Amino acid sequence: MTTRQVTYDRAYGSLVRTATQSGIEVKPVYTPQDIADIDYERDIGLPGQYPFTRGIYPEMYRNRLWLKAFIVCYATPEETNRAFKEYIAAGQTGLRILTDTTTLSGVDPDHPLARYDIMCNGNPTFALTEYETMLDGIPLEDVDYESANSTPSGSFFTAVFLVGLVEKMGCDIKRLRGTNINDPIQAFILYGTPEFPMDLARRVTTDLIEFGAKYTPRWHPSTPDGYNMRDAGIDTFRELAFCIANIIQYYGDAIKERGVKLDDFRPMVFSTSAESDFFETACKFRALRRMWARIAKERLGATKPDSMKCRIAIRTAANSMYPQKPINNTARVAYQILGAVLGGVQSIDPSGIDEVFGEPSPESRIFELDIQHIIAHELNVPLVADPLAGSYYVEWLTKRIEEGTWKILNEIDAQGGMWAALKSGWLKQQFDIPTINLYKEIEEGKRLIVGVNSFKGEDGAISRAIIDSAYKVPADPKRFGAIDKVKRLRATRDERKVVDSLNELYRATRDGENIVRPAIEAAKAYATVGEMVGAIRMASGYCYDPYEMVQTPPFMKHLEPSANR
Amino acid sequence: MTTQTRKIKVVLGKVGFDPHDRGVIVLTHALRDAGMEVIFLGKFQTAERVVKAAIDEDADVIALSDHCGVMRLIATDVMAELKRRDATDIVVVAGGIIPEEDIPYLESLGVTGNYRAGTSFQEIIDHITSRVKKERWREV
Repeated sequence: MTTRQVTYDRAYGSLVRTATQSGIEVKPVYTPQDIADIDYERDIGLPGQYPFTRGIYPEMYRNRLWLKAFIVCYATPEETNRAFKEYIAAGQTGLRILTDTTTLSGVDPDHPLARYDIMCNGNPTFALTEYETMLDGIPLEDVDYESANSTPSGSFFTAVFLVGLVEKMGCDIKRLRGTNINDPIQAFILYGTPEFPMDLARRVTTDLIEFGAKYTPRWHPSTPDGYNMRDAGIDTFRELAFCIANIIQYYGDAIKERGVKLDDFRPMVFSTSAESDFFETACKFRALRRMWARIAKERLGATKPDSMKCRIAIRTAANSMYPQKPINNTARVAYQILGAVLGGVQSIDPSGIDEVFGEPSPESRIFELDIQHIIAHELNVPLVADPLAGSYYVEWLTKRIEEGTWKILNEIDAQGGMWAALKSGWLKQQFDIPTINLYKEIEEGKRLIVGVNSFKGEDGAISRAIIDSAYKVPADPKRFGAIDKVKRLRATRDERKVVDSLNELYRATRDGENIVRPAIEAAKAYATVGEMVGAIRMASGYCYDPYEMVQTPPFMKHLEPSANR
Repeated sequence: MTTQTRKIKVVLGKVGFDPHDRGVIVLTHALRDAGMEVIFLGKFQTAERVVKAAIDEDADVIALSDHCGVMRLIATDVMAELKRRDATDIVVVAGGIIPEEDIPYLESLGVTGNYRAGTSFQEIIDHITSRVKKERWREV
């Protein structure tokens, strides 16, 4: 009888690196000497006290847990509405909106290039009708709405439609809560959609901030999209530096040009990523709070403690989720959430364990909520604020992340800010090189990803079920239904109102006024995203269609300057 | 012997509005490092533009990327355009988020690879090289 022989290697699975995910070389052990230059009162302090390293509330999660917020974006507004209601019943407290890829690009479903992506990654919210259906029966006041639409037009129209809907339903826009991810500089690198060129995107962002300061005190008009930037492959220093520099740019513009003050806003919101590197993730949030407190106070003129606090909204790293042995994604997302909770964040949007195969299925969404309920009620982690504080390693790493981030921030300052860094091409380079290096490290085995470049294996029954459970884009006939829908809307709405409101949007844009209010009025008259983008573009000297594939619609021809006709 | 200096030419493109381009950017560099000549057309392309670029550039390969789950439609349009322009000898490969149930259909069109995240560059490079040598250069 022959028996199968195995080789035994005691060292199998040993560590292959001594650096964190962002390449910070670390020692085997840390001692009081490593934090000798950290002053407890000055640099750490109590939660709820400047510089807020340990958190923004004195009792942190005892009084309020983080928001359980994730994107709900199924193919139609009806499906999305049903899903929101199901998830709210299961404990979702932050309602994140994501429109489909077509609308996000600033056009309507009947655009010739739209056929590929209608209903992909969300439902096509091309007009207020779709918001009416999507949020039907869900309270509009005192509910946290977060927008994940982070192209220049995507951010703009989320604000426009939400405010428009609140007003149309007779509710108070002062009680609209939540956050708008609005970060055109990030969008020019990562989306590259051309609907609002740089001059327009910059102006629209300033318009949104000014409008927010005056009319929607609880709806944060502009938070940078650090999550998207990080997910593209940059390190933690750049993620924090670009977020902070973008805020300095956007709010600096609004303070200078529109006379708003940082004190006009609720605490700033930072949208960032929770990665697999556990301590780097937790320490990043501590470093960010400390840095923001100083920048808000010393650079942006904040005088109220609230304006020196930042609320951190995280999404767990989608690029850490792999299709190989997808059961492992359950471990990744759970630890990323735990890292974020230990870092004291205010809002958590986890990846679906099946989202590398499509949109997260309902069961994977409920599972994410349950991970958070388990952390809260079985692990007992949120009982004590900032429990990692005082660890030699944690305090050293927090400081090390802060130092690396200041270095990048100084480079950006030397160039004259983020718009300048974008225009010079410096920013794009900052993205491409680390991304390529990251993938090279994986390819060369210098960074092990379980099931991907190491510890490989076959998918078993559980992994197969995860693969099969993801929500898939509907078949083409259903997707193309959105084309008929937008055509039906055009045929049935009050065209006089549409034309008048688009005329006003055009005029306000041309005359350099704040265009948020006229856009809200156009949205309430059921003008579409494509039409409003067109009016804003034409008033700024650009052609109607950002992709130069369709003509100006006849009813908008009169808006066209004769040179463009 | 002559084939040693002959470079494989690849046109990469994204059709439609899918903005996810990190994968294709990284792949562009990996193929270049492997000695191929690579042209990345960028995002927001049409099937017609991708095929035209491949013909104009005399490319051996079209590499399509999509993360919206609609490679089925993109590939159908690209293959139809290749046929219309009598250029079906160009090798077509794909990657991104491609629903598993669509893969047999894509293969039947002649669109191969259909890679997902986590695939090693070497696997993609080997696949492209072997198809080009066999189908374009008639090497076995």
